[in-house]
Amino acid sequence: MKNIPHENILLFKSCLVNVEYPGVESSTRYLFDHLGVEYQVHPDQSCCTGLGYYYDLFDQYSTLALAARNFYLARESEHTNITTLCATCYAILKKSLHLLNSNEKARSKVNEILEEAGLSHMKYEANMLSSEENIFHIVEVLYSKREQISQKIKKDFSKIKVASHHACHYCKIYPEQSITSSRNPMLLDELADCCGVKVVDWYDFKKATCGAGFSQRFANRDLSLSATRDKLYALEGKADVLLHMCPNCQMQFDRYQPVLEKELGRKIGLIHLNIAQLAALAMGADPYEVVGIQTHTIPVEDLIDKIKDIE
Amino acid sequence: MIIMTNNSPQVEYIPPVYKEKRLRHSKNPDKIGVFLCRCGDNISNIIDMEKLKSSIKADFVAEFENLCSINCRRHIREEIIEHDLDRVAIVACSPLTHLKTFQNYADPLNPHMVEMINLREQCSWVHTDQEKATKKAIEVTRAGIEKLKNAQALDKIIRQTEKSAAIFGGGISGITAALSLANQGIKSCIIEKKPTIGGNMVKIGKVFSPEKLAEECALCILNPIINEVINHKNIHIMTRTNLLRAGRKATHFKLILEKDTGLVHEERCIACGKCAEVCPVEVPDEWNQKMTTRKAIYKTFPQAVPDVYTIDRENCIECGMCAEACKMGAIDFKLKPEVIPFQAGNIIIATGHENYDLNKRPEYGYHRFDDVISQMDLSRILGVNGPTQGELLRISDGKVPDKVVMIQCTGSRDEKADGKRYCSKVCCMIALKHASIIREHYPDTEVVICYTDLRTVGMYENYLRYVQDKGLKLIRGRPGEVSKKDGKLVVRVEDTLEGKPLDIETDMVVLSEAIEPSAGTMRIARKLNVGMNQDLFIKEKHAKIKPVNTDMGRIFVCGTAQGPKDITDSVAQANAAAAKVSEEIESGTEAEPPVAVIETSKCDLCGKCRNICGFKAVYKDEENMAVDPMACRGCGACAGQCPQEAIEIKGINDQELYAQIKALLSDKEEGEIRILAFLDNVGYTAADTIGYNRINYPEAIRIIRIPSINRIMSHHLMYAFNQGADGILMAEYPDECMLEAHKAKIKELTEKIAAEGIPNDRLRFYKAYAPHYRGLNKQFHRFYEDIRAEAKI
Repeated sequence: MKNIPHENILLFKSCLVNVEYPGVESSTRYLFDHLGVEYQVHPDQSCCTGLGYYYDLFDQYSTLALAARNFYLARESEHTNITTLCATCYAILKKSLHLLNSNEKARSKVNEILEEAGLSHMKYEANMLSSEENIFHIVEVLYSKREQISQKIKKDFSKIKVASHHACHYCKIYPEQSITSSRNPMLLDELADCCGVKVVDWYDFKKATCGAGFSQRFANRDLSLSATRDKLYALEGKADVLLHMCPNCQMQFDRYQPVLEKELGRKIGLIHLNIAQLAALAMGADPYEVVGIQTHTIPVEDLIDKIKDIE
Repeated sequence: MIIMTNNSPQVEYIPPVYKEKRLRHSKNPDKIGVFLCRCGDNISNIIDMEKLKSSIKADFVAEFENLCSINCRRHIREEIIEHDLDRVAIVACSPLTHLKTFQNYADPLNPHMVEMINLREQCSWVHTDQEKATKKAIEVTRAGIEKLKNAQALDKIIRQTEKSAAIFGGGISGITAALSLANQGIKSCIIEKKPTIGGNMVKIGKVFSPEKLAEECALCILNPIINEVINHKNIHIMTRTNLLRAGRKATHFKLILEKDTGLVHEERCIACGKCAEVCPVEVPDEWNQKMTTRKAIYKTFPQAVPDVYTIDRENCIECGMCAEACKMGAIDFKLKPEVIPFQAGNIIIATGHENYDLNKRPEYGYHRFDDVISQMDLSRILGVNGPTQGELLRISDGKVPDKVVMIQCTGSRDEKADGKRYCSKVCCMIALKHASIIREHYPDTEVVICYTDLRTVGMYENYLRYVQDKGLKLIRGRPGEVSKKDGKLVVRVEDTLEGKPLDIETDMVVLSEAIEPSAGTMRIARKLNVGMNQDLFIKEKHAKIKPVNTDMGRIFVCGTAQGPKDITDSVAQANAAAAKVSEEIESGTEAEPPVAVIETSKCDLCGKCRNICGFKAVYKDEENMAVDPMACRGCGACAGQCPQEAIEIKGINDQELYAQIKALLSDKEEGEIRILAFLDNVGYTAADTIGYNRINYPEAIRIIRIPSINRIMSHHLMYAFNQGADGILMAEYPDECMLEAHKAKIKELTEKIAAEGIPNDRLRFYKAYAPHYRGLNKQFHRFYEDIRAEAKI
């Protein structure tokens, strides 16, 4: 397994997390604080462009230029272990670093852009950071601390059944870098197991996409929803919670489940949580102050009622 | 136990075969004879022979019309004896065409006392100005004679490989190779890590026979061969045996093997089976793909060879019940694995393959659903000695399935993580074979094959038609997932010809698992230092012309250790490997200089020579570094690396190089341009071809033949520049296994020459290809023109 850092972490803010599920970030901070992970959130950090990039609104150069700027902030603050909350940030940053390191033409153009903007000090030189060694996902940090997590569990989740949804942009863009097998990812399953949760074995459509597909969600709504529907139907009655590691997936399921329930004429009853939210809950974090369940469309309160303190 | 010994005497080197060398101690210096050839008028029409002749300073000079003609053989020999010549220069054509001829004509002399000077390909055929060509001819001839004066008499190295072979792997490939060798009188030992020989072929039940349009019983074909192997006096079988270490010698390999006893005295066991009857431990039986169980003491299958029981140490609880039941006293819990030193002249790697781990494709549910099975599982189910006695029954409920869906390319042709990029070659035929058997015996069972492409090449296409005629549904598409719905398996696939997604409900799914290199193959490759390809199969030396050689001399490969293939191809390749071993033993191999020789007293065993050698000619022989002359090409890469200067390249020494360089530049006139071209054999061939095609190039080009640019050091080049060379071109064929050494050499020479203040465009490198002689010619012209243009400024 690759080396996972526990210090000098730049916790990379995500637009979707902040807007849709701020509890994911606060849960992560809660966990990092309790697990002794040294991290920083940089106030000047900008968006990775992922959403705009995949909607074809941003070109590669804009993405690279913003990435170079963010990489400067990481270097300047000496927190070069960039750790993302969102799978799209993860893959976008990996690709950006890879291009900036290996493509001289792209690099000099980006540096020109920075210079024109009066940001010469932010210029990027090849191999200042590495795509393989400087970009991580929070799940990887949590996974490397799973033993410690299992010792800090305060809530009894043993009656709760969860299933995992591993994000495409984590497993499928850089498969050789994903922890556990990219074809049979077990990151979330193993982490959930450490939280004392019953994990559902392989389920139909386990490896399929959430359906969001960025612009597909709007441009090809039927196709997009059919993918969401396949997974939700496959899990109906089999799991109480679907675990996520990407805010976009979480949003697709949590916000659109009522649409599909209406179409189906009954409740599917699946709750959607990020793994950080689940772990924080299990470690006794406040459901509203820390885990932020009030921003969820599918109410999490039923679940909260079911879990009791471990005696 | 009896260890096979080699009966053949151990021969390291046979003494020189050449006629007794002439004694030279009485005279000094050596007498030199020069024989000029007009080559019809191919040489004399451009070269002024009289002028050339008068320029030569030698003890004997004579001119002939056609020096290569058989009657000149007599002349040359007579003159050598008559004039007591020690060294002979043949001023004629290319050494590539006729060096052997003239070495033969000059027979009482050592072959290295014969030098050929190539006036035809390098003067008369490529230059038109008689005066300039004659001038060049005179200098080239002088350079050749100077080289000749510095040549050393060398003996050919003859090596007699020991008459024996160790064959790793007791599957159909290893068995076939062993039998072929044994029949040729060569002692062969089959070394198998499992308790029984026969490999995968004993498991598969039936084999496809495209020529007969039938399926035949695999064991019925194999058993007579196995019987022959057991009874052959030249074959020894060692099962449960692994290779621990391997050492290399000039004529043989020294192997250290470890034989596990299985806690049973093989020679005492009569295979009565009483031990297994009383054994209380039941474990899944690998031979039946874990669909049945066996005991901890067991015999793999009824016809197993050797016919003895063996204990599976991992699962044995050492209760001792078997030992009590054994009337022969064959079971002994104190038996320790035995370490056996073993010697063999040759090695054949026939270590076979393994099947792809289907856990790596979790979406197909191999381990979740009982009725998702592999083709090998199906082979056992359809086998009359299998878990269902040959009846097609579902594992889950013992019922005959109404429908079977096969999924091709499970793990093969898969570029994603954990997949194999290659085609496993046999799976289409295996699927068709099983489909044929099912359709024949269960006409009510529907068979669907989901394929990527159906690869039934050559005559196998007939077999496809034959099975199709039995009723078979083919869907072109690679299924995405196998799931279960209302108790039925569902295969989700896109029919890519129709362009529509399908959910196929079925009772049984069969995955056509990829073939992958076995762990044993990789282990043995590392132990023997044999190269593997990027997919970790054993790499053949040349896929087209050396398909059973490995990159190591006297180590051969056959069967699926080298790549996916069926039984037909494995058997053909096994016979080829056996033929190569036999050739190695029978012919005795000769190594021709140039070869590298290590002066052991200077060597400090740093190993740099071994690391640089792409021909794997350097090895550590117990305490000394040694060069296998048969593998060595004399390229000189090792000599360039040696910090102790302990390596000499016999056959082209420094004095010869210096003498040639000096003579080729000695009478350079004011304003004249001279370019030295150092060419390896391929470059030299291309230069000859320029001559055959009568294409002109500047007289300024002077060619020196070298084994490789690795032979050339910066001091050679600096000597040439100091003697007046205007440019140096080094052309060589980019041999794959030496690419790294070439790159390093080019870098080293470029840097050193630059450090001496030579402009960097005066040293050029060129990749030579024999058919691309025009490219080389263009280099000659361009180099010359560039220097001339510079001189004008």
